[in-house]
Amino acid sequence: MSVLKLDKVSYKYNQNTPAVLEDISLEFENGHIYAIVGRSGAGKTTLLSILSSLAAPTTGHIYLNDEDVAKIDKYKFRSRYVGVIFQNFNLLPHLTALENVVLSMNISGKKFEEKEKTLAMALLEKVGLSGEEANRRVLQLSGGQQQRVAIARALSYDPDIILADEPTGNLDVETQQEIIGIFRMLAEEGKCVIIVTHSPDVAKTADFVYELKKSEEKIQAV
Amino acid sequence: MYIFKNAIKSITRNKLRNILLGIIVMVIAVSACVALSIRQAAAVAKEDAAENMTITAQISFDRSKAMEEMAAPEGEEPGQASQESEGSEGNVPDRGRFDFDILQGSSLTLEEYLRYAEAQQEGDSYYYSGAFSLDATGELLPYGTEEEESETEDQTDETGQDLFAGGMEGGRMEMPGDMPGGMGGKRFQVNQGDFSITGYSSYNAMVDMFGSDGGYTITDGEMFEEDSEEYACVISNELAMYNDLAVGDELVLCNPECEEETYTFTVCGIYENESASSQENNRFAINDPANNIYISYPAAAAIIAASEEAANTTTDSSGEETSAALKNTLAFTYTFVNEEHYETFAEKVYDLGLDEDYTVSSMDIEAFESSMTPLETLSKTALWFFVIVLIVGGIILVTLNIFNLRERKYEVGVLTAIGMKKAKVAVQFIFELFLVTFAAIIIGGGAGAAVSVPVTNSLLESQIEDAEQEQSQLNENFGFEHGGKGSGGEAAGGEIPGGRGGAVPGQGRGQDRFSGQSAASQYVSSVTTATNAVVILQLAGVGLLLTVISGLAALISIMRYEPLKILSSRT
Ligand SMILES: Nc1ncnc2c1ncn2[C@@H]1O[C@H](COP(=O)(O)OP(=O)(O)OP(=O)(O)O)[C@@H](O)[C@H]1O
Ligand SMILES: [Mg+2]
Repeated sequence: MSVLKLDKVSYKYNQNTPAVLEDISLEFENGHIYAIVGRSGAGKTTLLSILSSLAAPTTGHIYLNDEDVAKIDKYKFRSRYVGVIFQNFNLLPHLTALENVVLSMNISGKKFEEKEKTLAMALLEKVGLSGEEANRRVLQLSGGQQQRVAIARALSYDPDIILADEPTGNLDVETQQEIIGIFRMLAEEGKCVIIVTHSPDVAKTADFVYELKKSEEKIQAV
Repeated sequence: MYIFKNAIKSITRNKLRNILLGIIVMVIAVSACVALSIRQAAAVAKEDAAENMTITAQISFDRSKAMEEMAAPEGEEPGQASQESEGSEGNVPDRGRFDFDILQGSSLTLEEYLRYAEAQQEGDSYYYSGAFSLDATGELLPYGTEEEESETEDQTDETGQDLFAGGMEGGRMEMPGDMPGGMGGKRFQVNQGDFSITGYSSYNAMVDMFGSDGGYTITDGEMFEEDSEEYACVISNELAMYNDLAVGDELVLCNPECEEETYTFTVCGIYENESASSQENNRFAINDPANNIYISYPAAAAIIAASEEAANTTTDSSGEETSAALKNTLAFTYTFVNEEHYETFAEKVYDLGLDEDYTVSSMDIEAFESSMTPLETLSKTALWFFVIVLIVGGIILVTLNIFNLRERKYEVGVLTAIGMKKAKVAVQFIFELFLVTFAAIIIGGGAGAAVSVPVTNSLLESQIEDAEQEQSQLNENFGFEHGGKGSGGEAAGGEIPGGRGGAVPGQGRGQDRFSGQSAASQYVSSVTTATNAVVILQLAGVGLLLTVISGLAALISIMRYEPLKILSSRT
């Protein structure tokens, strides 16, 4: 059974611009890593926006466990079911790395076995940030460090679906491997990991690769 | 809730923005606190004054009403008009239609006054006085007159009247009914007499004179007993000295219309009157306060009764014989514990049979109101100030908030993108505003409270100065040499016979030229407390209002933001 299903989804940013996505039908299942590839401007980020309920499809439907996402409260969907690693991170720059992570945990409204701070700290360590860095304002972190904060934040509330937009774009090969390892672990735990990437290395590690093509809307499974 | 924690963190993170916001709110708070304190002080002062005020009221004949009724030209009889004509026939005033008996109104009797007193309520009271004039006999001389003059008198006994230049025949003087004390008497056509005798029903009636502000003190002997019918009197020290009278001496006075009708008084006390300045226009001895003689009302009533019994008659210039009995001018004063009782009385008294031509009026309420004028003007100004401060402050706050929100747009975008409900974002932002606003309100309110009393008092002082200046300007413009130059402190009543220091309390007050306002010294001139619980509550309301106004701006913008748009349009 697919956890996420796109049914003939089209999307236009504006009424009078051409559709960015047209008639896309895709299925994602738990326990797998999906890579979405495509040239710049192909609509990968747009697709993730739709998958994370930041944008509603212009036509078509998205189903979460066979339930129409349009019927689910989008804030609840975003804060609990999907963890998004944005291409440009979308962290709060004046908060510390730790505060950013804790904030997401708070917003999710989920109950945690340990104190949010402790869990967040552990998670930040797992993605490779030191305690000192974790307590630094995001503004004062490097791009790669910010990316890791964004990853930690997306994982912090234990969502079923991970949506990652170029999650390793700013990372060295070694850290990239570590992050991929984390994603693999999550997939083994039964989560659905969807990664948008330009990197063939990352794409290679995925169980499925979907390619978005700009106008021909052709999707290939590898 | 995490949003409140986050709000506090957010405030400390954005110090500069919040300090700016705080300063603006603080300025509003200080201004609002001062303005509200002024209003509160005014209200408190008014309440206090109202509580301490004893209201006195009189019933008087509404002459303007009667005049209106009389003015109807249909009633005009040409024959009558020409009878009085003195010169050209063209423009002769039609005096014939003036019916003085009606214009005067029939004087209310003591019984009537007492009946109307039933409209009073618990705690209310009344007092009254009767006034008439008597002449000196024998060696006795009214203060201010000289012996030769009294000896040159022939047909009349009018000592003082001789000083008056012409225009009077037979020592008689016509006075319209509105002379001081003209509350009830018939149209005056009486000999003036040397002394004004006033009988008081109670000491309360004399509080105006012998009270703390009255300026009268018994310096020798004591006051007569208020319910005694004995002819015991108190006289002025001037009169006593002038005639070498002492306590215990006898004083023989007679009916001005009939020398044989004499009354013997015993001097029981001699008073000194500080407020009796030399009054330039005392042409008649009777007008000099020094010739005021005070007795108890029962004594006065006894004299009137005796005089009526004697039934002496006098022949006037037209040969008509009229009664020479002394005429009592009754002055009746009702006192009330509060304004409400007075208002009730003023309504109910008509149910008890008072004619509609009479009005109930209280100088105290007018005086009270005018004493409140500066404070009330200040209070009104303060209200405007407050409103303007709120409007201007509100506009500034909203503008500032709109700018702040633009800055925080990205924050809103991120928060909503990661699933925070817009409403929660709004609550957090508004809570931040609330905290900053209230901290600023508390500080500003504290500062405002500290300065409000001195500020109120100095503003009040300048307000009173303005009012006084206006008053003296007014007096000057009207040609009244009021209080001399610069000595605005003196009450105007002093120069008008029958004013506050006059013989019959409560009657002369209406003579103040500008209805009580001239009593400059009676303005409420200072307040002691300004900021109280009410002001604090109002300030809290102001804080809430400011939070709501600026919060509304936040709410509207947050609701309009769409995370995808914000985040994708970010550079
Ligand atoms: N907010 C927007 N309004 C209008 N058009 C947009 C908006 N965001 C993206 N687009 C357009 O939609 C198309 C897809 O953009 P998208 O960001 O999804 O591409 P992408 O595949 O993620 O590219 P990249 O690999 O460079 O990130 C592009 O042509 C882009 O110009
Ligand atoms: Mg993209």
